[in-house]
Amino acid sequence: MKQLLIAGCLSWAIIFTSAAQETFPRNDVRDERVEAYALTNGTVVVDYKTTIANATLLIKEGTVVQVGAGIAIPKGYVVIDLKGNYIYPSIIDPYTNYGIPNEKQKGGGNPWSSAEQIQTKTKGAFNSNQAIKAEYSAANNFSVEAKAAKLLRAQGFGAVLTFRADGLARGTGALVTLNTDRSNEVLLNEHASANYSFTKGSSKQSYPISTMGFIAVLRQTYLDAQWYKAQNPRPFKDISLEHWVLSQPLPQIFDTKGWMEALRADKLGDEFGVQYIIKGGGDEYQRINEIKATGAQFIIPINYPAAYDVDDPFDAKEVSLAKMKHWELAPTNPAVLAANGVNFAFTAKGLKSAKDYLPNVRKAIENGLSEQDALKAMTYTPAAMLRATNLGGLQKGKIANFIITSEPIFEKKSSILENWVQGTRYEFKPLEKLDFAGKYNLSVGSTELKMEVSGKAGDQSAKLVINDTTNIKLTSKFGKDLIEFNYSPQGEEGLVRLSGWTTDKGWEGKGQLIDGSWVVWAATRTGDVEEKEEKEKDKKEEEKPALGTNIYPFVGHGNAIMPTAETILLQNATLWTNEAEGIMEQTDILLVNGKISKIGKNISASDAKVIDATGKHVTSGIIDEHSHIGATSINDVATNSGMVRIGDVLDPTDYNIYNALAGGTTAIQILHGSANPIGGQSALIKLRWGANPEGMKIKGADGYIKFALGENVKRSSNPNSIRFPQTRMGVEQVYMDAFSSAVEYEKKWKAYKSLSKKAKVVALAPRKDLAMEAMVEIINKERFISCHSYVQSEINMLMKVADQFNFTVNTFTHILEGYKVADKMKAHGVGASTFSDWWAYKWEVRYAIPYNAAIMHNAGVVVAINSDDAEMGRRLNQEAAKTVKYGGMSQEDAWKMVTLNPAKLLHLDDRMGSLKVGKDADVVVWSGNPLSVYTKVETTIIDGAIFFDSQKDAEMDQWIEQERARLIQKMKAAKKAGAKMQKPKGMIRKSFHCDDLTVDLNTLNQ
Amino acid sequence: MRYLRFKNKNTVIPACPFRVRRAKALLRHSFSEGTAGIRKLLSFLVIFLITMSSSFAQLPQPAKPQSGAILLKGGIAHLGNGKVIQNSLIGFDEGEITMVGDATRSKIEVAGYTVIDITGQHVYPGFILPNSSIGLEEVSALRATRDARETGQLKPHIRSLVAYNTDSKIPPTLRYNGILIAETTPMGGRISGTSSVMNLEGWNWEDAVLKTDMGVHMSWPSRMGGHFDFATFTFIREPNKKYDSQVAELGSFFKDAKSYNETGIKERNLKLEAMEGLFAGAKTLYIRVGSAKEIVESVRFAQEYGVQKIVILAGTDALDVAPFLAENKIPVVLPNVHSLPGSDEVVELPYELAGLLTKAGVMVTLSHNGMLARARNLPFYAGTAAAYGLGKEEAVQLITLNAAKILGIDSEVGSLEEGKRATLFVSKGDALDMMTNNLTHAYINGKTIQLEGEQQALFKQYSDKYSE
Repeated sequence: MKQLLIAGCLSWAIIFTSAAQETFPRNDVRDERVEAYALTNGTVVVDYKTTIANATLLIKEGTVVQVGAGIAIPKGYVVIDLKGNYIYPSIIDPYTNYGIPNEKQKGGGNPWSSAEQIQTKTKGAFNSNQAIKAEYSAANNFSVEAKAAKLLRAQGFGAVLTFRADGLARGTGALVTLNTDRSNEVLLNEHASANYSFTKGSSKQSYPISTMGFIAVLRQTYLDAQWYKAQNPRPFKDISLEHWVLSQPLPQIFDTKGWMEALRADKLGDEFGVQYIIKGGGDEYQRINEIKATGAQFIIPINYPAAYDVDDPFDAKEVSLAKMKHWELAPTNPAVLAANGVNFAFTAKGLKSAKDYLPNVRKAIENGLSEQDALKAMTYTPAAMLRATNLGGLQKGKIANFIITSEPIFEKKSSILENWVQGTRYEFKPLEKLDFAGKYNLSVGSTELKMEVSGKAGDQSAKLVINDTTNIKLTSKFGKDLIEFNYSPQGEEGLVRLSGWTTDKGWEGKGQLIDGSWVVWAATRTGDVEEKEEKEKDKKEEEKPALGTNIYPFVGHGNAIMPTAETILLQNATLWTNEAEGIMEQTDILLVNGKISKIGKNISASDAKVIDATGKHVTSGIIDEHSHIGATSINDVATNSGMVRIGDVLDPTDYNIYNALAGGTTAIQILHGSANPIGGQSALIKLRWGANPEGMKIKGADGYIKFALGENVKRSSNPNSIRFPQTRMGVEQVYMDAFSSAVEYEKKWKAYKSLSKKAKVVALAPRKDLAMEAMVEIINKERFISCHSYVQSEINMLMKVADQFNFTVNTFTHILEGYKVADKMKAHGVGASTFSDWWAYKWEVRYAIPYNAAIMHNAGVVVAINSDDAEMGRRLNQEAAKTVKYGGMSQEDAWKMVTLNPAKLLHLDDRMGSLKVGKDADVVVWSGNPLSVYTKVETTIIDGAIFFDSQKDAEMDQWIEQERARLIQKMKAAKKAGAKMQKPKGMIRKSFHCDDLTVDLNTLNQ
Repeated sequence: MRYLRFKNKNTVIPACPFRVRRAKALLRHSFSEGTAGIRKLLSFLVIFLITMSSSFAQLPQPAKPQSGAILLKGGIAHLGNGKVIQNSLIGFDEGEITMVGDATRSKIEVAGYTVIDITGQHVYPGFILPNSSIGLEEVSALRATRDARETGQLKPHIRSLVAYNTDSKIPPTLRYNGILIAETTPMGGRISGTSSVMNLEGWNWEDAVLKTDMGVHMSWPSRMGGHFDFATFTFIREPNKKYDSQVAELGSFFKDAKSYNETGIKERNLKLEAMEGLFAGAKTLYIRVGSAKEIVESVRFAQEYGVQKIVILAGTDALDVAPFLAENKIPVVLPNVHSLPGSDEVVELPYELAGLLTKAGVMVTLSHNGMLARARNLPFYAGTAAAYGLGKEEAVQLITLNAAKILGIDSEVGSLEEGKRATLFVSKGDALDMMTNNLTHAYINGKTIQLEGEQQALFKQYSDKYSE
């Protein structure tokens, strides 16, 4: 079996060259012809680096025989005079579905409202997840599609990679030419790529439903494939895994929607030693350093957004600054990639029509891309990334895939005259540029007229000249031998229609007047026309306005320059230390190198930025134990979703991060949602606005995981739900099952790990199960639970389950009936993170009271107030203040509920949560008592860097208006110049709550 | 106070039905166990009867009419009209305010009043919550408890008043923070229905109503429609192609309503009949509307059909047309002050909005949307507005006199003025700040309101449990 597999791998790596098809039956006499051509007298661009003027290209049977200047033409070659035209290797698109039957992709059922699909519905011995379709072979399903091929050839394409865009693992892609021939001739390589994506396509299986779920499934599939491959014989048959294993040596292409997903894909690949070729989204310029650091090759779409029609200032509000800026900067994307040494190929994917391909490449060149890099991205790179050594250039031995253009290809007026595919010639326009320019006397019957033909040879038009200011347009068709004219005589309606032939002097022929009478006509050339247009073009180039700058993140209030740690001295402030010192009046605090360096009176620091904080209050930053901002997905739907990780899907562009900063929040736990008894793993981040996803994370923080109880877990809002569990009784058994399975799982691994090195070689490692890994971590106190909870019965239940497995539940979050079992919580040692005053929104919060925090606190439980809500997350100080009103908490204790206590619950209190020398310089300056409704945040500092400042914020607001105004004027100019426009379309980003089923229901993909 | 009875914690039980079931179980049990069981049962029944009566006491009961004149002495009186009296005398009798005076001015006749010394405390007119589903919705996730949205599009005949539940658990939690009056409003559809203003106290809706069927609520069509894109978790807004036809549909309804109500003899039409008050000025038209252009169009629309009183429910877009609103004297009901700005907007814009509109000469009040239970934060919305551009007294006015004017009840409530209803409360501290909002007395129509409710009872019950 193993040998078979290896043989398979090898054979897949071979690139097939086309050979004559002798196997097919004939229905005629034999008719084999030697197809040998010599194309001479043209400029041949051999590859993106090499151009030969006045060259000859010899091709035979679809292959390049020789190329160069001064080549002797062997006998038997048909000579084609290029008449000074240009030859280029034809364009290769590495990302199409050409010739592949369309999959009906209706998208997944919505498990929020319909019955969940727990199992795959693919019939046969395939993978347990319906979105893993690694078995699919594009080659097996490919057939030539004449109409589509014709369209692509007309735009200069010669070969494409084609695959079916369905599923997370999409199977293998095939490299084909665009010849309209037997599929057998056209198919160059049936195993040219293996394709992947972050969309689940036609699968309606409930799990996974989010990007983090997609990542988790792919991650688990890599592990499963390793485990499966190691076993001989196989423990069971999984055809999808077989193909997954087989296709690993091929170029691995990952589809993404932009830089954020590109980084996620690359990170996933790194875990398994896979370097993907990443199909990008066109916004890579926004995070070019991170993109460069992936080391990946990219396939880049060139579907720049159209300008927005923003004439009306009210309507213009629908268009965000980010969208406007992207409109301006998207055409610079290829240039930015090239300047940073990223190797990339272009694709027409995403364009309305392949007709936009060349114009948009030219636009990229206008925006700084060199012509050489452009040609490389069109020809050489796509061939190289697909390991198609016989494509992408016109050196000896390569497939004769080339186009003939009238001008250098990047000239606007250049047109494609012919496209040769595998030596087959497809003609669109004559090679000879017919030149009829000149002044003519035109006689039509008894009427004498003046006519002018102008324009570049091969692309000319004619007009009747009545006098200096009046012209009549002639509709004309110039042929080498024949001609047609139509025109409406001055002051008349209806057409005079003429047809004729060329003569030495011009043309002559016959035609019909408006009334139908036949006349004889003739046009006689009298002289030349002076051309005048070059100058205008130069003028336009000079006027090119400057481009806007990148901002981090790429949304309103993004930073022009990332904040960095400063030495800051806050003088004469009221410090809420959260330490034994309590509230210290008129005290200084010094921040150095991102840490709190000194607290005391009259501190001096010569190099410090001094802020007079007289009358101000200074606190440590607010920490939100329960947040859902800053991530692109929140919920997945497996009953045990312990394998999904919020950390995989951080979204530093969420502007709620900035809002939270403006409310004094510096760190948050992004929790998974509450759709499942065992949710996904949390991410602990600091609100470093403008950092990249990895840069947001708190290094060295403990691992957390979301659990949930009650109505959400039972899927109470979905009357059609069939997913286990449907009751609180079932919820307990989910936990019992998960933890007892984890104990067994760990035993197996321990037994395996205790084997000697020798024994390990023979023994089979147990299957690595990522959900079980998380459970084992919990039991081993290496991962900590934050459990969404409401009613007392279930709270008590989980503590009892934990007792049985010898661990402590770390935090109950929401915990609205915690006040009923506060004594039991205290005894168990669990903390609480609750809402200040939410209740009555569902049955299980019927007895939620705003005194909950105070009662639990008084009973000795560590209590935090959290948000679970982007809006509340930007004024948690006020939510803390409510515990003074409801329950009579002291102000200091109330304040700790949003600072020190959540730090404790997140095991971060050794470095955050209070003002103490040595702790992180996460500090907020308030205009007054931070618990008062009248108090505002003035400055928010994280790790000694100022991330929010009310004055800087006001400047930003002004800049946003100015930048928008500049872009609006630019769009108006574009409209005037006739650019494609689109109506303003708004996008309102919704904030997540833990009940939200988020994202990626659009299983539809490109 | 009646509620203090829960101090005797032996008599407090969480819920009656439990006890009833327990009694039944004991009964069954006793027949098999003989006399001991019967004795047990009897003793239980005694306890049961006692606890039954006291457990009812956990619900704040509707109050009795004012029995004698009351004088609140020495408080800082926030009159609701922007004025403040630092050391005040506020007297009321038979449900009506009889005295609003300055205690530092000598010789005010206080004989006949029962004097309550509130020196250093704050006294406010009852806060008013417009545009809410109070009394129509209990537990929003449970369909059976939702009564705010009738089916259909054009339904001015749908009246919230008759579905208003005086026994809802939510009003006591609003009163606890100073909200004593609320508009109960039908939701959904193009014309949602007719609203009424309720006192948050009473035995039944007839008893509780302050103003019957005073407003018709309409949702103006949006020029931008759209759909939700789960991929990006964003709402994609696109031009609404049906905008013109939707406006035309409303137009024909208004036209028909107008002509119906001008005609003498006619076949009765409940929908058209319900529109009558709009043209005569007896009812106010509340237009829920989005963008700047729609605001202008909707107001012009209502004016053209002769609607006398027009109020819009709008957000930040109202700023764009503030001069138009000021010129046309169109007041605005704002949504949650505590809400999020757009990415390009000024971060504090939702906080500043009330102040900016007020400065532009537009009359503004505040409301709450979203989770009904959180409507109790209305005073803190005003507090935030005060922090971001308004004076504190102007902020109080937003949710008192302005609200009363906008709901057409300012002749009766909304400010501390002689002759108005005695609907007011006393707070130990600044009622607009969550840290200090702490009510000691509240009155509706002079009736003494029991402030503590179920939530306070549970606080007490469990605090006691753990302090044992």
